[in-house]
Amino acid sequence: MRTTVKELQDIKAALDQHSIVAITDASGCITYVNDKFCSISKYSRRELMGKDHRIINSGYHPKAFFHGIWSTIASGRTWHGEIRNRAKDGSTYWVDTTIYACMGPAGEPTQYVAIRTDITQRKADEAQLQRYAEDLAEKNKELEAIVNTLSHDLRSPLINVQGFGKQLTCACERIQLAFSAVPDRAVPASAVRQPLEVAIPQALKFINAGVSRMDALLAGLLRFSRLGREALTIEQLDMDAMVADAFSAMRFQLDAAKADVRAGPLPAGFGDKVQTSQVLGNLIDNALKYRHPDRAPRIVVDGHLEDGQAVYSVADNGVGIAPEHQAKAFEIFHRLDPDGPPGEGLGLTIARRVLERQKGRIWVESAGEGGCTFHFSLPSTEPQPLPMP
Amino acid sequence: MNNAGARAPAILIVDDDEGHAILARASLEAAGLSNSIQHFRDGQSVLDFFFPAGPGPHAVRGGAYLMLLDIRMPKVDGVEVLRRLKADPELRNLPIIALTTADDAREVERCHALGCDVYLQKPVDYDKFTEAIRRLGLFMTLLLIPPAKKS
Repeated sequence: MRTTVKELQDIKAALDQHSIVAITDASGCITYVNDKFCSISKYSRRELMGKDHRIINSGYHPKAFFHGIWSTIASGRTWHGEIRNRAKDGSTYWVDTTIYACMGPAGEPTQYVAIRTDITQRKADEAQLQRYAEDLAEKNKELEAIVNTLSHDLRSPLINVQGFGKQLTCACERIQLAFSAVPDRAVPASAVRQPLEVAIPQALKFINAGVSRMDALLAGLLRFSRLGREALTIEQLDMDAMVADAFSAMRFQLDAAKADVRAGPLPAGFGDKVQTSQVLGNLIDNALKYRHPDRAPRIVVDGHLEDGQAVYSVADNGVGIAPEHQAKAFEIFHRLDPDGPPGEGLGLTIARRVLERQKGRIWVESAGEGGCTFHFSLPSTEPQPLPMP
Repeated sequence: MNNAGARAPAILIVDDDEGHAILARASLEAAGLSNSIQHFRDGQSVLDFFFPAGPGPHAVRGGAYLMLLDIRMPKVDGVEVLRRLKADPELRNLPIIALTTADDAREVERCHALGCDVYLQKPVDYDKFTEAIRRLGLFMTLLLIPPAKKS
């Protein structure tokens, strides 16, 4: 008998070392808690005794969840599940829980023993994994869209190269035919004039333009893909200084266009200095590039804090973007007006990618004619480092 | 440009890529088609042609037209042109061959949903392209915009 008691004491000691243990009476009032229960709930034993488990209810689970637990254990069955609780300091924790009903001689539960394991970390990891999965799905969709656009954009100049290459062949055949039709060197100019003066130069023009276009597209694609691999150095950014730098880097063009530039005091954000400067430079460059022909450009950079984000804006009084074209503005290689100022249709795509990698966002607002405002956000507090890229 | 009463429809090429339009025209001509051919550089200009707004050439009442429509264009794209034409009770029967540069199932579906007659992937070989149009027998289709109603 003595050894049995000793054995039970040992098992209880081992259990206390491993698990969070609580015992309640039949009405749910706490009659016993071990040290681990106190330490995870941050309540003292005295605060817990005589209370029921509502003291650690986090409000996360619906009422029906707890009804389910009660109906299970009150009928003498063991309940097993995961519960999110709230500690005294307001922090929450997850416990994998088994509640065992101790039955009395009358067939009614006399008390309940609850044994729990802290699974807070596992729950956090699961949530993180879920976020990664969603992120990956989103990235996959984006990649698919890029491949789709690219296949179209690369094929377009290719059609010209092939089609006009064929025209060249035809022109060549016509000249050869003219030569073979008459004795040497007596070819009439009229027979070769059209191919030499019209068909061949036209074909060469389109072939050369097509090849240059494909070259530019591939170079742009490489630039875009390189961006995604570059390591980011996240630091607190002095945006006022960065905007001043961006303006002074473009001083010549801004002065030449008689641009009126202003920058309000800007909140600090957290991001990569080099890449964020590129975004700023690109937005200011766009504001200048797409200025209205009838008025001197005005560029206003502003910013404020909102929901833990530093939100910046670059507003101009340029040609604006019609609402129906705004979504396309960020598409890779998309140019709203191919006859407009030169560009490869990559600036805003890169800006979006750069900001997303820094946990920021970019969007545009424009009523059309009156100009447009690009907004972008960055975290205003230091982001938690992520274990995965 | 006036086709009123003519049996052969005027062919309207709507394509933002000048090279593609020249190649299409060249291959149609090489195939012996004598239809008049007009090129529109974007969706808006062909909409202006059918829904007169301001100066510029306009569709002739009673004229017959067939449209080769590039889908991917900046600003007003082919899908939008299709949507506008198919929503018009008088223009909805205008035969339209949608052209796309890349094979995109979603785009094909979208065009069919909008009532596009034929959908062709822009082939690099324009001879095949002409052959396809011929095989489809669309040139046999006579399409008339109804004459102006007398009120």
